[in-house]
Amino acid sequence: MEVWQLILNGLMSGTILAVPAIGLSAIFAVLRFTNFALASHMTIGAFAGFVANVWLAWPVVPSLLAAFLIAGVVGVLSDEFILKPFRAAGFITTAIGSIALTIALENAVRFVFGNELRGYDLPIRRDWVLGGLRVSPQQLENLLIALAAMGLLFAFLFFTRTGRAMRAFADNPMLASIKGINADMVARLVSFVAMGLAGLGGMLIGLDTTIDPLVGFKSILTIFAAAVVGGLGSLPGAVVGALLVGVGEELSLLILQPAYRSAIGFLAILMVLTLRPRGILGARAY
Amino acid sequence: MPGPTRRALITAAAAASAIAASPFPSRAQSDPIKLGVLTPLTGAGGQDGPRMLKAMEAVIAEVNKAGGVLGRKLETVIEDDQTNPEAAVRAARKLIEVNKVPVIMGTWASAVTSAVAPVCWESKTFLCTVSGADSITQLPHQGYLIRTQPTSKLQATAHADFIAGMGKKKVAVVGIQAPFALSTKEHLDAVLKTKGAKVVAHVIYEKDKATYRSEIDQAMRSDPDFLYLNGYAPDTVVVLRDLYKANINLPKFCQSYAVPQKTLDTIPAEVSAGTYTGQPSADIEGKAFKLAAARLGIAEPDSYEAQATDWASLVILTLAKAKEATGTALKENVRKISQGAGEKVWSAVEGLQALAAGKEINYEGASGPCDFTEIGDIEGCRFRYMEVVDGKLRFLKVV
Repeated sequence: MEVWQLILNGLMSGTILAVPAIGLSAIFAVLRFTNFALASHMTIGAFAGFVANVWLAWPVVPSLLAAFLIAGVVGVLSDEFILKPFRAAGFITTAIGSIALTIALENAVRFVFGNELRGYDLPIRRDWVLGGLRVSPQQLENLLIALAAMGLLFAFLFFTRTGRAMRAFADNPMLASIKGINADMVARLVSFVAMGLAGLGGMLIGLDTTIDPLVGFKSILTIFAAAVVGGLGSLPGAVVGALLVGVGEELSLLILQPAYRSAIGFLAILMVLTLRPRGILGARAY
Repeated sequence: MPGPTRRALITAAAAASAIAASPFPSRAQSDPIKLGVLTPLTGAGGQDGPRMLKAMEAVIAEVNKAGGVLGRKLETVIEDDQTNPEAAVRAARKLIEVNKVPVIMGTWASAVTSAVAPVCWESKTFLCTVSGADSITQLPHQGYLIRTQPTSKLQATAHADFIAGMGKKKVAVVGIQAPFALSTKEHLDAVLKTKGAKVVAHVIYEKDKATYRSEIDQAMRSDPDFLYLNGYAPDTVVVLRDLYKANINLPKFCQSYAVPQKTLDTIPAEVSAGTYTGQPSADIEGKAFKLAAARLGIAEPDSYEAQATDWASLVILTLAKAKEATGTALKENVRKISQGAGEKVWSAVEGLQALAAGKEINYEGASGPCDFTEIGDIEGCRFRYMEVVDGKLRFLKVV
């Protein structure tokens, strides 16, 4: 029974991590660099949702939408004006530029909101016990929201013209350009969607805990691990990776002290990369 | 707390530009004496650091207004340790090598202090800290370190008395991975055993996780009747929420820094119900405490503000006593003004006047008597217990 509870806990936390992990992988698929500024966009989303939920007294779902939109818009602007000029200098420069950007944005949030912990205006509920397993209603809701967001994203990528253009560009930028797909537009769109997902993920994490300016930075390494394990650049891969890392961290408790939990995510990276250097699902964008 | 952070940035920028403007600073007597402040303005300690900074600055401003020390003004050089050992070591090196400060005041987390201390003693810089891990004063620091916080042993002993006093027999310790984790558990267990109780489970978790439900399950397997939550604020909030969700309604004890009122305000009242907190008590009856309250313009400075007040005061008085602004002078002279048979003084300005009049002094601090053992620990202190009722901290007792 304990094993099932651990697996359930892992799936729950993995699904939440999958939301920003998809964003990280999407940016890599299209723009070909790991955008660590995802961390600060998670924070920005979490705080945008906080303003909507606590200051403006909006319900949770519209607040999540606000988190998505604000983080998405900031994502487009920061990419357009800060990271885009870096891209000519190559992958490493852009990735390091994104670390600098994330620290700057995180401190901007800190400047406005300060350092203290904040919580959303959300009643707390006791766990449900189903067949001997404990499930938190909040986590279940978060899970459904995360699944809905992922469903929408995949529908967008497969069934809309713009979505297909994005996939085409990720697959072969040269060919896509020849076919008349505007590279700049695709870059802006992917930044918007990916950072929007980051913002949504930041708020989802915060719903169950508390938020402070470090909310994104604390989870970025695990998210990075998830994306790499699944295959950086593959969106389903990001989901698989996040679930694996989530479940793996929980199952490690069977044999290891909880203090070593994070090590599992990184051991997973080492193992996967040794056996499959391009991640479990490989670096395909869809 | 944007205020102090902004001020820190401005001061740091001003200090940086001053260095840039004069690559070869002259050492004239009229130059201000620089005092290093390295405290968490961000990270888990970000709630306490800015307030400690404010308390130190208030003492320094008061002394500057009264004419400074050794004919020189005092100036702080502020760095953020980010509650992160790696960032803290970098900042400490900058303070020591670039700013040439004789003292660094303000490290908070035990892991940070353990990392910064060797950098300090190697470069003969004096360090003042609130970190509680026993191991810190056992480092070979040659006297270059004092702490105003009681050791984990003193604290755990007091907490165990408190818990046993409630008639609890089986205590589960659930705490964050930190240098104090193991020693706290061992001291708790040792004292509880003398009272017919014991520690039945000890789970150490990792920081920054969004949930600790599996860790809680692990601790609950030993069927405890009391929980000792040994974490910092961000993770303790998660643990409290997870306990509530899992329908576990045991009484629990936290360090007061883990659940300050501001943090309690972020969680529903039913989640924090049944939480007791303890903290080393400032000497709330003492004269130095009242002076600190007036200086800071607040009704009741907490233990950290009181300790920060004491560092600044002790350092200033020692500089005056030693007539020299070096780390070595600080380590050799601090006990000459902090303890002994001299005239009792309760503030830096008062002490400076007494020293100027050629008297011996004994500084009595806002946090306690500030008498230090050979290895830099305080000799004793009081503890203050609170209970959370309806989401508010309510005073219980001072022991």
